[in-house]
Amino acid sequence: MSKILEKNGKAAEKSVSKAAEKATALTHCATPSGEIYPDAIDLAKVRAAHHALYTQRETITADGNTAAAIAALQMWRCILFAGFPITPSTKWIETVAARVAADVGGKKRVKLLEAEHAVADYLVGAAAACRDLIFPTATSSVGLDHMTETTRSLGASGLGNVMLVNVYRATANFPLCIEGDPSDTLAHRDDGFIQLACRGKQQIYDTVLQAPCLGMQPDIMTPTMPGYYGIKDSHRNARLTVEPDAEIHSFQDHWIRSCPLPGLLNGDSAFGNCVTSRHFQGFKVAQRRRMDRVIDILPIIGADFERKFGRPGLAYYDAVGFQNGTPPDIAVVSMGPDFGTFEAIREEYQRLAWTRVAGIAMRLLTPFPREAVRARLAGAKVVLVVNQAHHHGRGHLTLDVADALSNIENPPRIVSVFTGLGGADVSESTWERILDHARSALDGKALPPVAFFHEGTQL
Amino acid sequence: MPAIDLRERIRTSVLDVRGDGKAGGGLVLAFQSLANLMLRDSGLHVQEWPFFSSARRGANIRSFLRVSAKPILAACEVTRPALSVLMDEGAARSADFTQGVPHGGTFVLNTPHTPEECARHYGLTGRVVTVAGDAIGSEHLKHAIGNVSIYVAVAHAIGGFEEKAIVASFLETLKKRHVPDAVVERNRGALRASLDAVREGVFEEESARRSTAPWLGYGYLPVGAQTALRLSAANQTANYAPSGLRLRFDDPKTLCNGCAHCITNCPEGIIRFVPDAERGLLVTGVDVSTFCKLCGECIAVCPEHLFLEVPYEEPWMEVSRS
Repeated sequence: MSKILEKNGKAAEKSVSKAAEKATALTHCATPSGEIYPDAIDLAKVRAAHHALYTQRETITADGNTAAAIAALQMWRCILFAGFPITPSTKWIETVAARVAADVGGKKRVKLLEAEHAVADYLVGAAAACRDLIFPTATSSVGLDHMTETTRSLGASGLGNVMLVNVYRATANFPLCIEGDPSDTLAHRDDGFIQLACRGKQQIYDTVLQAPCLGMQPDIMTPTMPGYYGIKDSHRNARLTVEPDAEIHSFQDHWIRSCPLPGLLNGDSAFGNCVTSRHFQGFKVAQRRRMDRVIDILPIIGADFERKFGRPGLAYYDAVGFQNGTPPDIAVVSMGPDFGTFEAIREEYQRLAWTRVAGIAMRLLTPFPREAVRARLAGAKVVLVVNQAHHHGRGHLTLDVADALSNIENPPRIVSVFTGLGGADVSESTWERILDHARSALDGKALPPVAFFHEGTQL
Repeated sequence: MPAIDLRERIRTSVLDVRGDGKAGGGLVLAFQSLANLMLRDSGLHVQEWPFFSSARRGANIRSFLRVSAKPILAACEVTRPALSVLMDEGAARSADFTQGVPHGGTFVLNTPHTPEECARHYGLTGRVVTVAGDAIGSEHLKHAIGNVSIYVAVAHAIGGFEEKAIVASFLETLKKRHVPDAVVERNRGALRASLDAVREGVFEEESARRSTAPWLGYGYLPVGAQTALRLSAANQTANYAPSGLRLRFDDPKTLCNGCAHCITNCPEGIIRFVPDAERGLLVTGVDVSTFCKLCGECIAVCPEHLFLEVPYEEPWMEVSRS
């Protein structure tokens, strides 16, 4: 990761500055309708009206939903919280609502809507009205599905000031399952959101703080979808370090500049116009280019976060066990909190199995960081991809990893497995059995295209 | 074998704790308060989380807690707990709270029974800690809820906490949930009463080593399996009923007027009846063994008030009678 940062760092920093200059210039351009009203929203007043949640760094106990809610509450640019409750994300809006209600004289508001679709529509309207404020919500599973008509439009609309916290929960299900697997977020890979996966309270909090900095970059302007596993992370309590609001504002204000486009309140006259196919294609190409810029800028923001707060910031993935010059026999690709159980057993497994094992837990899902993943996995003998969401092919992650490893000499053999569907527990013994399965590939054994594991058993 | 030193576990590796209870019984609050208590020590790392389904109040739930002086990486469920908690004995009818507990492990039970009686009844070896939490809850909180007491008993079992910290941590958790001050004060009374009510003993009679049962596969899962799941023996909704109570149909004077309101309102179809040409459907009894979860629908709709909720205690052979 650090090599990629060094290589791309200077060029990307320059590029970020250029984009910011361009943004400042554009803000003062007239809209096609003629008039603009740059002072329609007094951001200085909005900033001054923020009541700090924390004035110094503190350590508290929190679960994942609370961590994500606190982060949103600490941003001065978040003044309107729209939502509709759905398990396991409900505590996010509950926490936000409780704090807003308790903040006597506070100017922030919570808007409880009729359903998730209404929430998404509301976000579009609010975010298009003022592109310099941040509009967050949280949802899960079929709640996200219910938003789909609007999320896809939203993803293409340049509203990088929308942040949709996705608390992963199994989706498309009868029987109903309220536990966390990432099938909801992975079914929405093409909605046009920057999808960031988190594990653990601290990473959830830190990611929510950084996500708008990325999405609101003038040459990205793409909504963000930070996500974490329902129940496994949303309901797990642990220690959380929270930063003072003032420091968060200083960090965010460094990265979030005036949006190059005026909002509806600043003079833009319409949103969601109809265009001919010729223009539509141009919009889609531009959308794709904006999304691609995430790959360049994400590590820069992550590195700046680490400099300021002393904790790892945004990254393509978390890596464990890779040693310079000695590629692993098995490189695991996974995501979410169950990767922690793999970390817990990794060294003991290596010792007993005489096999070098390393792994990455994906943090950036969309856009998928193909080059960085390829660079990390290229020397491994076997790449073991652990999927946790239902897929009729070899697995969402497997397809991305296979794409990343295509067209290289002597590519690693890819072993694809599924476990933890519907948020099922992935125990130590399950991880051991999965690693045994991948180890048999080292010996050249023929394996099925996919295999399922649960409770230490191959199903 | 001596009981496992739980404090030593925290210092040298990880203390794994698992709790079994019923939804709405306060198990999650007890475990959250325990996590708060542990986190008062800045040198400790803690994970606390619940496991529950979309099932209703009274369904079995589990809570997990990991505590260590080292950073905790594992995120899977606790399967080999050195400390196992039984919050509601009704939960033990459909979950094995002893599963995976190693030799010398500690069991903490919310029960009116003594540690000796529990060790014999459940076949427990190791340390057994009991507290009559429901009775304390009834006295102080006007509700047979044992979460205050079970929290105190677990803190006692782990050891090393000042009484003041034990009380303060629980009350802090309540305040976080915006519980009214009057209720917080009543909980303070329950906490203090619980501190003096914990009993314990160490038992080594049984020699069988407990281990996690092997995974036997999913079995037959038909498409649209809800109906099969709902009516299966494995999903006995009677286990959702509050412990210590049972439904009784009492009609010695044959007052049933055959209106069938109870039959049409019972969500589980457990009311027995016979057709009567003149009066309609005459109720003859109820099958409370499998699916009656004491929802109270029949009690509410019967015009003759023939359904009752009555105290019920499962007989224990192990209870010493004086």
